[in-house]
Amino acid sequence: MEPPVLAPVLAPSAPSAPSALSAGSSPAGETRLVITGAGIVSALGPDAATTWQSLLAGVRGMKPITLFDASTYRSTLGAEVNGLRNIELDTWSRTAEMGLVAAREACVDGSVADALARGLRVGLIVGATTGGMFETETLLAVLSDPRERETTKDDAWRKLLSNPISSTTQWIDKELGPFARTRTLSSACSSGANAIVVAAQWLLLDLVDVVLAGGADGLCRLTQAGFGALSACDPDPCKPFDVTRKGLNLGEGAGFVVLERDSTARSRGVSVHCELVGWAVGSEAHHITNPDATGRTPARLLTRCLERAGLSPTDLDYINAHGTATPLNDAMESAGILAALGPEAQRVPVSSSKAQLGHTLAAAGAIEAVITTLALRDGIVPATIGLSSPDPKCQLRHVTSPEHRPLRVAASSSFGFGGMDSVLLFAQPGYARPQRTESHDVVITGAAAATPAGIRFGAVTHEVLDAVLSAEPQVVVDPSLFDPARARRLDRLSRLGTLVVERALQSLPGPTLAAAGSDASYLDRVGLLVGNAWGNLDASAAFMRRVFDKGPRLASPAEFPNLVPSSPVGHISIYLGLSGPSFALVDFAASGEAAFFQGVEMVASGEMHAVIVGGVEEESDIVENVLSRVFEGPQEHRPLRAEGAGAVSLSSAEIAAERGLPVLARVLSAVAFRTHLLNPLSTLTSPGETPRRALVLARDEATANRLLGQTEWSTVRVRAAEAATGVHESVGAILLAAAASLVASGAHSRVAVVGESQGNGYAVVLG
Amino acid sequence: MDLARLKTEVKELIVRELNLEGRDPATIEDDAPLFGEGLGLDSLDALQLAMSLEETFGVRIPEGDEARTIFRSVTGIAEHVLKGRTTTSS
Repeated sequence: MEPPVLAPVLAPSAPSAPSALSAGSSPAGETRLVITGAGIVSALGPDAATTWQSLLAGVRGMKPITLFDASTYRSTLGAEVNGLRNIELDTWSRTAEMGLVAAREACVDGSVADALARGLRVGLIVGATTGGMFETETLLAVLSDPRERETTKDDAWRKLLSNPISSTTQWIDKELGPFARTRTLSSACSSGANAIVVAAQWLLLDLVDVVLAGGADGLCRLTQAGFGALSACDPDPCKPFDVTRKGLNLGEGAGFVVLERDSTARSRGVSVHCELVGWAVGSEAHHITNPDATGRTPARLLTRCLERAGLSPTDLDYINAHGTATPLNDAMESAGILAALGPEAQRVPVSSSKAQLGHTLAAAGAIEAVITTLALRDGIVPATIGLSSPDPKCQLRHVTSPEHRPLRVAASSSFGFGGMDSVLLFAQPGYARPQRTESHDVVITGAAAATPAGIRFGAVTHEVLDAVLSAEPQVVVDPSLFDPARARRLDRLSRLGTLVVERALQSLPGPTLAAAGSDASYLDRVGLLVGNAWGNLDASAAFMRRVFDKGPRLASPAEFPNLVPSSPVGHISIYLGLSGPSFALVDFAASGEAAFFQGVEMVASGEMHAVIVGGVEEESDIVENVLSRVFEGPQEHRPLRAEGAGAVSLSSAEIAAERGLPVLARVLSAVAFRTHLLNPLSTLTSPGETPRRALVLARDEATANRLLGQTEWSTVRVRAAEAATGVHESVGAILLAAAASLVASGAHSRVAVVGESQGNGYAVVLG
Repeated sequence: MDLARLKTEVKELIVRELNLEGRDPATIEDDAPLFGEGLGLDSLDALQLAMSLEETFGVRIPEGDEARTIFRSVTGIAEHVLKGRTTTSS
């Protein structure tokens, strides 16, 4: 008889929290989440107060770009942040610096240093899209030409390694931490909002006591050329919701909030700005760049936000819109608001801050969340500048100059490429009902892996580990596995990802997702999370090469959406029709593990019925070149790199039972930890009564020994996977899928999977 | 270049630039609609097509309603390219 599943599966991430503070004083099962700190860096100012005052004064941040020569771009305007030091320091990217400045402001405002000094568990979550692109795009363009690679110095190659989108997280961790947990996610223009959603889940699961969450993104040539190619840029200052609007202006900046349970805030004696009372994330599953004109996804999300808070449209006093000023977005968003609010839409004021801040991409959701909280705090509705003739398709209650009145409840909307939508709902403290805390056991109901050895799924997924990798590092992708008409925009990453996600779903006999096709309320609560470290680097290089060689006018509009880090997950959700939350996770060498943990958290917290989690990396000449140059030691000792993908379907134990989903394995334990901590895995589930039947799966033996050496798992046999899978950053996703099938096949009673990346460790026990 | 030859080149460009895998360019009819019905292309395809027509033939596609007329069919595009080239050379 197997022991019962341990709940909660997610052990707290650091052992040092005083229980009096972390347990709180709310009734069991209920808590309130409050904002206790905020910070903004924007074109309007270096801090939240200056940004807010300039916003209310009607200042526009967009000016001719000085960061690079934008004279040949479709729009020469950008909302640039001045006074950054990164160029003189040359250590971090503009994005990282803006992130750090805004995060520091939020930390000071929310007394985070005090929380750390008290030994509270403080988490860090960053939404990012462009990362260090500005600092690396010129180099990428050079590297796109194999002849020029030969003459490029090793220092330049190293620069590529120091600017992945998770580098912002690392800088903030280094300067303001160390934090008990960190995570980097990307969902294009909703990244910053999604960071706040993840923060709420961490608090509801009691994984941390305080969270610093936000987003940061810098201007770069790639996005300026890309949005230009999509005809989405207005060459003049933009006009959200106006009948003559022509598109957006890009901006840059960062926004961060400090979020915690109200009981923690009371214990610490910090003041509360307002309460986060609702959030909802979903995917349009419609088109990689164009929003679904019906606006039904934003409508569904706004409605769910209100429901979560126990509120109705009559309670809502303000919406800070996504409001990009593109013709398609503003019409779609208006349709969504009208559908969700009905007649109340004529009362609820709506405005967009993007006519002043520009569209700050991954930062937008977080900056605008802070703006929304400031509106609540001060009782001021900010205006939409530039709006003079509202579009008849946008019949909302527009605000053309700031309005002073007490506000009870306010929403902030963010929509990203690929239809990744998020809505946050804030309220005066105590106005809405508290959040329910739930804890669900998590099971794995499907698994799949794709390696150069082949594609396996279900209970035989682990067969991919039996192969010995040859010199051929590519996965064989049979084009006939795809519907050619619908798959024509899928690049290699998206195809590899689709193959495993589809099979992780298919491997369920009985009622599969596809069979539940008409069951929209279920599908809306099936998430999709994909880890990926490098993105489509070769394509980004080729895109920039064209921009430099032929001019930004000839930048490829079709290629551009494939360059954002969340492109694979967006394509997969569209191809497979998955309408739940979807975003990308980046934790460099443990990107697959990060996606898995995000999924386990969403299911364990009751946020989602099921989540498909995976990781994917493609073969890349540039990545291969970078790694060969930074490898210390003889090249023949460098492990063979390969491409590959893995995915598992996670579900709550109740949902699996209710829907008759067969369980491959149960998640007995999932511990995300910082590797600098002493004995961080003290709470990890043991190998069980028969350690001989247990197994450790890791990339290599050294990793397993390093991470599990202090635990009961130290004597358990280790199976190293790299000889079979090759080396890449999403091997963890393959290991997790293989581990589930090893348990399902009866070969092992318990399997531990471990991985690490740059200070983050992940340990999972399946059984 | 004559119109017939130009139409063939435009068809090849459409298949190549828009990743219409497995589609034989010769099966695209000269006057069949390209967008919505017909080939089922969308506005992102229109942008990619406009960019590659400019790159290949040196002819700019105007935005808005004028583009709609040009993009109605392969014939529409070929005629616009021919007109643009004549204007340029004269």
